[in-house]
Amino acid sequence: MPKSKVYITSVGFTKIDDHWEKSLLDLAVEAARGAMKGTPKVRPQQIFVGNMFSAVGAGQEHLGALLASALGLVGVPALKVESASSSGGSAFNVAYSLVKSGALDSALVVGVEKMRDLETEEVSQAVAMAESAEYTQFVGASFAALNGLLARYYMEQLDVSRDELSSIPVIDHANAVNAEHAQFRRAITPDAVSRSSMVADPLRLFDCAPIGDGAAAVLLVSDRAASGAKKKMAEVLGGRIATNEFSVYQREDMLDFNATREAFKGAMAQAGLSTRRLGFAEVHDAFSVVGALSLEAMGFSKRGRGSKDAKEGKYNMGSEFPINTFGGLKARGNPIGATGVYQIAEAFLQLTGQAGKNQVEDADYGITHNVGGVDTTSVVHVFGRAT
Amino acid sequence: MAIQAWRIKDRYYRLIGSRCQECRTEFFPPVYTCRHCGSEIIKDQEMPKEGKIMTYTRLHEPLPGFEAQAPFYLAVVMLDNGARVLTQVVDSPDESVKTGARVRATVRRAKVDGDSGQIIYGYKFIVMAIYNL
Amino acid sequence: MHLMKSSKPSAILGYGAYIPLYRIPTSEIARIWKGGGSGPNTEKTVASMDEDTVTMAIEAARYAMKMSGTTNLGAVFVGTESKPYAVKPTSTMVAQALGQHYTLAADLEFACKAGTEAIQVITGLVGSGMIEAGLAIGMDTAQGRPGDDLEYGAASGGAAFVIGRKGKDAIAVIESSTSFVSDTGDFWRRAHEKYPRHLSRFTGEPAYFHHIESSVQTLLGETGHKPSDFTYAVFHQPNPRFPVEVATRLGFTMDQVRTGLLNPMIGNTYAGSSPIGLAAVLDEAKPGDKILLASFGSGAGSDAFCIEVLDGIKKTRGVNPTVKSMIQRGSKIDYSTYSKFRDKLHK
Repeated sequence: MPKSKVYITSVGFTKIDDHWEKSLLDLAVEAARGAMKGTPKVRPQQIFVGNMFSAVGAGQEHLGALLASALGLVGVPALKVESASSSGGSAFNVAYSLVKSGALDSALVVGVEKMRDLETEEVSQAVAMAESAEYTQFVGASFAALNGLLARYYMEQLDVSRDELSSIPVIDHANAVNAEHAQFRRAITPDAVSRSSMVADPLRLFDCAPIGDGAAAVLLVSDRAASGAKKKMAEVLGGRIATNEFSVYQREDMLDFNATREAFKGAMAQAGLSTRRLGFAEVHDAFSVVGALSLEAMGFSKRGRGSKDAKEGKYNMGSEFPINTFGGLKARGNPIGATGVYQIAEAFLQLTGQAGKNQVEDADYGITHNVGGVDTTSVVHVFGRAT
Repeated sequence: MAIQAWRIKDRYYRLIGSRCQECRTEFFPPVYTCRHCGSEIIKDQEMPKEGKIMTYTRLHEPLPGFEAQAPFYLAVVMLDNGARVLTQVVDSPDESVKTGARVRATVRRAKVDGDSGQIIYGYKFIVMAIYNL
Repeated sequence: MHLMKSSKPSAILGYGAYIPLYRIPTSEIARIWKGGGSGPNTEKTVASMDEDTVTMAIEAARYAMKMSGTTNLGAVFVGTESKPYAVKPTSTMVAQALGQHYTLAADLEFACKAGTEAIQVITGLVGSGMIEAGLAIGMDTAQGRPGDDLEYGAASGGAAFVIGRKGKDAIAVIESSTSFVSDTGDFWRRAHEKYPRHLSRFTGEPAYFHHIESSVQTLLGETGHKPSDFTYAVFHQPNPRFPVEVATRLGFTMDQVRTGLLNPMIGNTYAGSSPIGLAAVLDEAKPGDKILLASFGSGAGSDAFCIEVLDGIKKTRGVNPTVKSMIQRGSKIDYSTYSKFRDKLHK
């Protein structure tokens, strides 16, 4: 079948918060309905749910069929897609690939995670499942610990200071002030980051994305099924998933985020774009250090300069290439399996001029970057204004 | 967890990893496919028990089951054969735990399943200068 | 005739002690419970919270195996009263850690003499020709009830001995031994209790002194040895005073006792006590030296050995850390840290 263009026609998402009153399914339905309401004429031909640990967080699997029934879409094929914290981006990539190939005319992608029904240490255990049970979890290394090791290595090997490392969290918080769906909406100073409580030396509380509940959904259509004004749509121009050597500490060069590099190159090649055409990037900064290393891997900053460039204002709102325009993982939030879809919904808002006070001006193209593990699975998508 | 640990007890007690039979690179944890040359001809190999710290962190917010020890050090240790191990560094004064410090393996209680479940033993490392061993 | 002598000579081929890093001064224990003062020993050793008899036995065993160069063990016996499991042998975990499977493995319990009992058993298995070499370990993470006088002494540590056929590299030959037991309940722990109990003054004459005097006098009488034949005398050391007293009664001098008397610095490591004393003596002894080793285990009994050091001892220097160096590299902790490490806090 001939390849189709793919458009996102509408999105829906919940605020990211401690949603004590809402279950995993409540959140998923809310986001899904938000997306479907925006494109009322289209009944999705398949549903993809991105989620990491519903089994532990809610005692629930089989999320595809669960959501399909809840939405009154009995009969519609539905699947859960899991790749740790890149579950959302990965679910979207599968949907995108099927619509692009012509196998589907439409798809609904929902990312959802319910974290707060677990105690904090149970969340830590759930998230740690992204890493080796027998050799990483076994030694008591939490996911934050692995990133802490990496942060020390980054600072010692490439001469990055504590103050420089704080820059990306500061950008995130500044951008979230006007983002209604963001979990934390107060600006912070670099000093506040370096004085926050120690988690995994040298990473402190404000270096780390928070725990929160949320769901985000997007509706994709092929050009055959697309109707209505194109300026209300965003086009998906490319997407690639790449994996890295599973355990970060086993890599030849721990500071080389090769999966992100390959996913970015692949997605950009599909889109036929050069980097300088990009107007913004939603970067997966689960921890300050991986935000910096991701920017370096994608070539936006030279090696060792991710945080330093951020400190010098290169990635602020208003700069030539703003990142994390609604707060990124640190301030908008990181409900694990949902994050990738939040990023995509935010890119949609930017490209359809609906970003309000967070609007990036004159951005024709943007990317989203969603990661599972420590650059272990990296998913990059390229979006542009629909024409 | 008891059976999962039993299956790999020699890896936990004796650091038995892998040696690629073609390019002779050694790995811990064990591998199915050589990370260096891609060969599938892999045999078990006991690792040397000494190495040096490549990088480390001090974890203040531990995983469940490790609360009593918090805060504790975790390090990537490069063993003398080039293999890298992710491990706790225990019983070593703060000033001795640093990049480049020489460490050696010992066996300690790794995880305990409450008062009635099994005790899983495994490798942890100690700074050699302290033990002068 | 009560002397035990193996038909083929059995010898120590390698040994290793393990003493954990941490120390608590008895003055710190007394500060909490008595408002001042101290115990009979100055300090005692404390195992870390992730150490136990299994982990410490593995450390000592690895040192012993390194020294002896043994590849096959026909037996692994661990004598202890602080087994992590009431049912699941410590010895199989030690054997697994050493890569040994075709081996007779069991844990022995006889309070503080379980370690020397392991030496008796392995000596017999080797001497009978049933096995070529075996591993005897005495190791404990002894515990005293908080506030009880036993708490001053109850310490962690022990030693391992590879015993095999006497060859040219043998370190010391186990010439002969005796054992003397009776049903004497001076110190005991009921099956589901966490801490032992003891009768105070009763642990002296009817227990410690009677059994050690019986085993040693039998050994001396039946071998024809005199106390002055020995360069060293190592006794079980529940406190600093008893071993000196029993030595004097048996005709031994302070010079003979001094090297193996470690209680003042490390406390009472129970099944590890006389084994560590033996290891400390072997760290210094010269070929031709005779060592008297006499343990005591509550319940009660005593094993006595006549051990003669051989030329092979010369090659052991520097192979493993000495007992002295392990004692010296101590790190002091306070009572609350000690309570946390040794799981004495009620949660």
